[in-house]
Order: sequence, then C-alpha cells, then structure tokens
Amino acid sequence: MKTVHLVIDDKSIAVPEGTNIFQAAIDNNIYIPGLCYQPKLPQFGGCRLCMVEVTERRTGHRFACAHPVSEGMIVKVNTPKITRYRKSVMEYLLAHHPLDCPTCDKSGECGLQNISYDLNLAPGRFKTTRMNVPVIRDNPLLELNRNRCVLCGRCVSTCKEIEGLGAIDFQNRGIKTVIGTAFDKPLDCSFCGGCVAVCPTGAWQDRTLGFGGRSWEFMKTPTICPYCSVGCTIVLNTKASPPRRDGGVDTVKRVTSDDYTGINEGNLCVKGRFGYEFIHSSERINTPLLRRDNELIPVSWDEAIACISENFKKIIAEHGGASIGGIGSEKSTNEENYLFQKFCRTVLKTNNIDNLSNIKSPFLNGLIYKSVIHGFASASLKDIETATTLFFFGADITEAHPVIGNMARKAIRLKGANLVIANARNVQFQSQARSDVRLRYALGSQVALVNAIMKAIIDGNLVDLKKVEASTNNFPALRGQLNNFDPQLTGISAETIKQAATLLTNNGNSYLVCGKDVEEDPQGKDIIEALLNLCALINAGYNADTNSARISIFFSRSHNNSQGVNDVGVVPGYLPGYADIENASSRETVENVWGVKLPDDMCKKDNQDVFDLALQDKLKALYIMGENPMVNHPDGKKVHDALQKVGFIVVQDTFLTETARKANVVLPSATFAEKEGTFTNMGMLVQRLNKAIPPVGNARPDWQIISDIAKKMGHAFAYASPKDVMVELERVSPAYSGIIYDRLKRKEFHWTSFLLTKNKPLKYTFGVIEPGVLNISVSKDFPFILLTGANLNHQGTFSRHTKALMSVAPECLVEVSRNDARAMGVNNGDVVIIESARNKIKLKAKVSGKVSEGMVFISEDYERQPVNLLRDGAYTPVRIHKEIG
Amino acid sequence: MILPLIKGLALTLKRFLNPSTCATVQYPEVRPKLASRFRGLPELQIGKDGREKCVACGLCAKACPSGCIYVEGAEDETHRRYPKTYELDAFRCIFCGFCEEACPVRAIILRDTFELSTYKNNQVFDKEKLLGLTRKRDLLKR
Ligand code: SF4
Ligand code: SF4
Ligand code: SF4
Ligand code: SF4
Ligand code: SF4
Ligand code: FES
Repeated sequence: MKTVHLVIDDKSIAVPEGTNIFQAAIDNNIYIPGLCYQPKLPQFGGCRLCMVEVTERRTGHRFACAHPVSEGMIVKVNTPKITRYRKSVMEYLLAHHPLDCPTCDKSGECGLQNISYDLNLAPGRFKTTRMNVPVIRDNPLLELNRNRCVLCGRCVSTCKEIEGLGAIDFQNRGIKTVIGTAFDKPLDCSFCGGCVAVCPTGAWQDRTLGFGGRSWEFMKTPTICPYCSVGCTIVLNTKASPPRRDGGVDTVKRVTSDDYTGINEGNLCVKGRFGYEFIHSSERINTPLLRRDNELIPVSWDEAIACISENFKKIIAEHGGASIGGIGSEKSTNEENYLFQKFCRTVLKTNNIDNLSNIKSPFLNGLIYKSVIHGFASASLKDIETATTLFFFGADITEAHPVIGNMARKAIRLKGANLVIANARNVQFQSQARSDVRLRYALGSQVALVNAIMKAIIDGNLVDLKKVEASTNNFPALRGQLNNFDPQLTGISAETIKQAATLLTNNGNSYLVCGKDVEEDPQGKDIIEALLNLCALINAGYNADTNSARISIFFSRSHNNSQGVNDVGVVPGYLPGYADIENASSRETVENVWGVKLPDDMCKKDNQDVFDLALQDKLKALYIMGENPMVNHPDGKKVHDALQKVGFIVVQDTFLTETARKANVVLPSATFAEKEGTFTNMGMLVQRLNKAIPPVGNARPDWQIISDIAKKMGHAFAYASPKDVMVELERVSPAYSGIIYDRLKRKEFHWTSFLLTKNKPLKYTFGVIEPGVLNISVSKDFPFILLTGANLNHQGTFSRHTKALMSVAPECLVEVSRNDARAMGVNNGDVVIIESARNKIKLKAKVSGKVSEGMVFISEDYERQPVNLLRDGAYTPVRIHKEIG
Repeated sequence: MILPLIKGLALTLKRFLNPSTCATVQYPEVRPKLASRFRGLPELQIGKDGREKCVACGLCAKACPSGCIYVEGAEDETHRRYPKTYELDAFRCIFCGFCEEACPVRAIILRDTFELSTYKNNQVFDKEKLLGLTRKRDLLKR
C-alpha cells in the first residue's frame, strides 16, 4: 500500500494511505483528545473534540477522526484557537454531567476526566440541571448509568459490529437521546462486556467489581483466559491489601481487556471477562486431603506426598508400572502436562496416560498433524480477520468460540468476507455478510456433503485441475469415487452446494473451522479426512501470482489447553511433539534428554483408553491432574464404574469435583492466575501466562506438585520454574523447537508456521473415503436424538464456581424444536424429563429454532448436570416427557 | 554587653512569672487548649442519615504519604457506595492532613484527638473505631 508522509505537531511521520489523522497520531504516539474514535470501530464523529488544524492546500480545521491523511499534510493538534474550541465543547458535554467521580468506578481511567484535566477546565458558564435518568441495573453483570453518557456511540457500535447483536441503540432524539435497549426491555445479550471496555466514561460499569477498588489501585497483569481454546488475552486487575492484613493479600478484582495485546483485540466473551471469581471462591480446596475411614481429612503437604509416593512405589513393586493410569489436563499448562507425562513414563513407568480430548476423538491428533505437515493448518487464528470466505463446519462459533466470531465479523465488515455455515442445527451467527450460505445437513451425511462440494468444485472447474493433478497423488481415484455419493442424502439443494463451492474458491484466503460436532461424531475421522481432501483440492491449485483461492483449517478444541496437552504428549501414542512412541528411533532424542531408556514393552499404544483398562481390573492406581472425567467424559457410567474398581486414586484439582470426591488423596492446585507457564490455543499459538497473585491458601501449581512427588520417589525433577521445563521441552519436542520462553512475554510462538519454515509442506495424497453407515437407532420408545455441545456461559469446573456466570446462566436447559414442543404441549420453562436407556435427568425446556424436529440439545458444559450419564455414544436416542405433578 | 542580656532575661522572667503566658499546663488534670487548626487523629464523619459520610473513593488512601489508610468499597442494597473496610494505622499516620484535603465529601477530618499512646504493638483503627470518636463527640455535644 502507498505510504503518505505528513507532519503532526512538528513530528514527521509516514502512514499507509487511507488512514485517518487520528489513527496516524495513535500509531505514532501523538495524543489527540477524542472520546468517540476507537481504532477497532467504524468512525462515528460524534464528540467533536478531535478538531485539529490541517494545512493541505489551504489551512483549515478538520476532525482528525474523519479526515484522511494526504501527502505533505501539516497537522497542528493544539493551537490557542483549537484549545478554546475544545474547552467549549467540553463545557457542553459536562453541562448535564453528574460529575460524581468519587463514586464512579471509571475515575482515574476516564476519557472525560482526563480531557477535563488536560484542558484545565473551570466550572462551566451554563447554569444547568444535572441529568437524572434512572440507572439500568436489570442484569447481574452490567450497569448503565446514562447520566454519565456522552453519546459517543462506541458501545452501540461494538455491540452491533463486533458482537453482531445490536442489543443496545440510541433511543429518543435531541436532548432526550439516551442509550438503551429496544422498548426499555431488560438487557438480554451475550454479556460480552464489550460495551464496558470501550465506553470512555463511567456510563457502563462492570458490576462484578462492586466498588471493590479504584483504577489506580490495580496492578494489571495480562494473561491468558482459562476457558476456551481461542486463547484470548485477559488483563487481571489485582488489588493488594497492606501487609498488616494477613501479610498482604492480593485479590483479583476484575478483568479488563487490552486492545493491543494478544490475538483478540480486546474482545472477550462473558467467560473471559466475568468468569474470574472462582479464583477466590470459598469452595476451593485449601489443603491436601487424605482419605481415612472413608472420609477426606485435611493433612499437610508432606504427609500427602509421602502417602502418594509410598503407594505408587508399592503398586509398582507389586503389579508393575503399567497398572497405574494417568489423566492429564486440558486446563493445565504445557509445562505441567509435559512434566505429567514425563513423570508417568519415567517414574511410574507406564504409558497408560491420556487426556479427555484424546479419549473423545482419538484420531484427531494424527489428522491435525497430517494437516500441519501438509501446510493446511499453518494459519494463526488472527488471520481469520483477513478472510475472503469463512467456512464453519459443525462448529457453533457463537457458543463455543465467541471471539472467533468477533474476528469473523471483522473480516466481514472490512473485507466483505463471505460466510458458509454447515451444521446439523440451525446455529446462530449474526453478521452482515453479503453471502451467508447455510448448509444444514442431515446427520450422517457430512462426508457426502464435503464430497458434493468437492464435486461441485471439480465440475465447475473452479480450481486449476491440471495443477491439482500434478501436485498431488491419487487425484484420479478420488475423482472417480466422488460419484459414489448421493448429495441428496444431505438434504441440501445442489444449488446451495454449488454456491458454497464458488465461495470457497473465491480468490484470497479462506478459513475452515472444523467444529466439535464433527470431531466427536462417530464418523469424525472420515469427515475430517474428507475435509482435508477438500483443503488439498483448493490449495493444490493455488497460484501466488493471481492470489487464487487458498484455504486453511482450524480444529476446534474445547479447553484453553486442549491443544497443548496433546502437543506435549499426554497421549498413549505420542511422545512430546508427536514423535511416534512405537518407533524406537523417534524415541531416541527424548530418551537422550531424559537420560532414561524407555522399554519397548511399555511403549505401546493401547487402543483401549485408561477407563477401559480400569474396568478390566488392569489398573491399581489412577493419577488424575486437573480434570473431572466423572462429568466431562462422554460416557459417565463408564468412569463411574471404572473409578469404583481402582484402589488408589490421586486427584489434583482446585475444587472438590465429583472425581475428587472419589479420590484417596486430593491435592489442591493453583489456578491460572497463580502461576506461570504457557497455553497453546486451537490455532497452535503458544502464549505465555503471567502470574498475577501468589497461590491462594495452601495450593501449589501442578508442576511443583509433580516435581515434589517425583523427588519423594527418588527422581531428580530439579525444576525451579516453568521456564526450566520449557527449556527442556524445547529440546525434546520437534514441534516446540525454536520456542524461547523469555521471548514469549513479548511475542507468542506459533509452532506450526515455525515448523513449516524449517520443513517444506509435504505432497498430499488424496485418501479415498468409504464412510460406514451412521447407525442412530431411534425407536418408538426413544424417538429423539440427543445432541450435546458447547455453551457460551459455562465451561468446565471453573465457571460453576463463578457467581457472575451462574447468575446469567443458572440452569442447564434442554432445547426442543418448536413442532415437537407443540406436539408434547411443552412450553418454555416447563420441567421435562429426558430419559435414555441408561438414565434420566430433569431439566427445564427451552423451545428453540436451533434444533430440528426429532432432536433435542443439551449443553455438556454445565458440570452440575451429568448429561454424560444419559449418553452411550455421540448420538443417544432419548425420550422426553413433561413432568407430571 | 551585659545590658542586652539583662533585657532578654527580663522578658523571660516576665513571661515566666505571668500566669497567662506561662507554658506549663497541669496536664492531664488540665486539658491543653489546642489551636483550632490542630491536626490530631483523622476521624470519620457521620452524615445526616447517621451513617458514615465516606463514599470509599480511595482518594485519602492515595494521598496519604505514609500509606496508612486502606479502604475497600462495596455496594449496599440501595446501590450506595460505602467503605466496607476502612482502616487507619495510627502508628504510621504522620498527621499531615492530606487525607482531609483530598476527601471530596469531607468525610475525614483531623480533630483534636492526640492521646494515642498504648501498650499494644499495633494501633490499626478500623471503621467503627474511627466513627466512634465522632459519635462520642456528638453525644458530648448534646
Ligand atoms: S464518567 Fe468520568 S467524569 Fe463522569 S463521573 Fe465518571 S469518572 Fe467522573
Ligand atoms: S455486553 Fe456485549 S452484547 Fe451485551 S450490550 Fe454490551 S456489547 Fe452488546
Ligand atoms: S454509554 Fe459510553 S460508550 Fe455508550 S454512548 Fe454513552 S459514553 Fe459512549
Ligand atoms: S472466547 Fe474463549 S478464550 Fe476468549 S474470552 Fe471467551 S472463553 Fe476466553
Ligand atoms: S477521601 Fe473521603 S470519601 Fe474518599 S475514601 Fe477517603 S474518607 Fe472516604
Ligand atoms: S474523536 Fe473525532 S469526533 Fe470524536
């Protein structure tokens, strides 16, 4: 892009053409006062404070946020005339302002306050009455005090453009204008808190802070969100009490966002922004617990660790290491998971380790690695902002990865991106996309759908087929096989499929997000392989000169570190960095660094998961770190029975979860706010956590606990900090080689692109897929299919111990389609009983347009509701009826 | 040379012997008369509604050069902002009066309490204690 040179306040700067003066000033650290301009939002021009003197051909006054730069322009920010003008604008803005700074939580970081101070304003000339409209407090998280509003429009624009909702807007006209919801209804939105973040005044307030501190008292620590796998940067605001109060306690008081750090541009979802209260929950475990006489008794750390070490030693001596199983954590850091698998493999001498994401879809790691080495998964999530076409396949972005939705909306707004959404449900995604193609497939027809798209691409000659043929293997076989599929199966018209095919092959970069619905489908493996074929087909024809179509794939992961836990090898099949464990030569590097030889008979991938082994009485002990499989494993009954059979269970967790209640030893572990380390998001970006507060109570970070146990068992786990672990991991893992722990603080590490700079992408071989038939046995007794999936407001153990999240989403609901609800006489809020062959639960119904007839949807993210007790596979047949009486 | 000395001594003696200018006060039997702007212990003031005037703005804590004030605000049922915790470490207070100056609602005022010696090794006054001084004063007035 062309660069334009200009001078602002005697400083010569160069910025890209088309930038406005305000942005040019921000980029070059020049201050122009202004309340309504926000770089991530469309320009509004409402506050009139950013007036500057501009000399182009003539000298005149312009609004900096509305005027583009031009070559040779001279800008003066402060002239006596402008200052006088600004003062009078401020006088108008403050005329009705309550000026209750002492009780306003914005004080200290308020745009209005800062500008008043800068301009040295004296009391105004006007005699006015203070505005007095009621403060809106009709929801538990946000408060809107419209008396403090300056009508800058930022919140309205955030809600509409970024969150896609438009829950709030300007109401009334003239002097009566206020911000509000339509018809003054209670605010019912996604509670992303974006409005609080952008509001330059104290009009929007985060109610979870509850006047608990002042902006200048907070220490701000940027770190990574502990919920989903987008990996947003959140800023923990901690307040310290003086040392005289219990030696000085640091408390996390609120979460703010930072537009310039991390991948999320300051956008967060409700979990990230309001889901921090669990850190100081009174329900946390404060000391280690030991089971004596069937009761968990508080003990000291030494006692607990001695007990674990003794029992492990005894079990290894009597039954061998393989009789111990380990479950790593999707929520702990890479370092901790790395140590966990190292501990299991070298100290316990067992390879029966796993993590829940791998248990749910055991094929996924292999396929993801395949997509990486072929160069399909080398993009970072942030690249979505530049997309031409976005393809969400089986992914409910709005619920599962809300901030990806924010990025997608940015692409749609600024790049005119197109949207293709394939899902069995009618998932919500609000945007202004010009083309928004919805492919609502029938369950079991996903492979047919992908193949139909490929066929449409080939038939329509939408890619350079000659090039595809030349640069891949096995293309003719694939081509021949595509005819075997009946696109009719999908229930989608050929026209729509063709439209999707065209959008996907538009020039530019497209991004495919493969969702959890696919990954956890019984045919998931086939569907993903088909999607990889699709990627290969589009990418093989890529021509850099014409900027032709290129597609990158992302795989949804559930938790903050679901990717990392697999990367560092907490899976039976791989050592850290996806080194095949059965291959003696790939074991060598690891063995050299660890200084141990891993025996051949240990290094086997068992195709049974840890809980299967336990059920067959093959396990004597189980070591579970930061995970609650009792609720989060898809088959609740299996875990229940398995834990019954294991004699000695160690659980490391922050809360006394259902699983921890079954344990013999429970160790309190520190939360993300209390430790350092790294998380890897679903775009393979390794990001650094920063410690905001010391561990609460007697808790210790997981890495320290593992080292302590290892030391007690006579092994040298001499790690002083997560940095030491990462240094070792860097040497061990091909995927993480090149990572420098100290540099992570400044810049995150994207391992796939780093890997691809060293190794060229491999030539792709099309796989010919013959999917099995999906058997969903709905019967007269169980006429509905139970679908499960993500929920915006909850995830894992943490959210249920967070008051704010519980207050916006107190209950798990079962979604029923309109027609089914009418047939059964069920209304919104009625209690219904959902019954499968295994079990039944009672939930309130929500009549929803999202599910089709014959389906019901329950989110699996409400840990209090053990939906997994109903399930026996991905699609469980159930029946529902209204509760009688 | 001797003359100025006598002059000076004469003044000293005059003051010393005159009961109205003699500095010795029979404390504690006799209370000293304090200047109206004397800065004793900061005390929290009580508003018309009988509650603390303080709105927990934290400015006093920020202004305090010895960092002896700790305020933690909270929201009550009427959404009023009030100090859930207000602490003043009287050992550390240097009676500078900056808190009084910073307070936007005149909720903290340094009055004439100066008898602060104690056998205890800490002297952290909490909100009730700081309000209590004012309550007592109000009672005396009546
Ligand atoms: S919005 Fe700003 S100026 Fe207005 S009361 Fe709050 S801090 Fe003061
Ligand atoms: S919280 Fe988010 S969705 Fe709700 S009104 Fe604010 S910006 Fe809109
Ligand atoms: S509430 Fe805040 S962000 Fe919204 S218009 Fe008013 S001042 Fe601007
Ligand atoms: S999108 Fe995910 S990572 Fe981002 S704030 Fe929400 S839960 Fe956290
Ligand atoms: S300055 Fe005044 S109102 Fe503010 S916290 Fe201190 S005593 Fe309370
Ligand atoms: S910042 Fe330009 S008009 Fe408000």
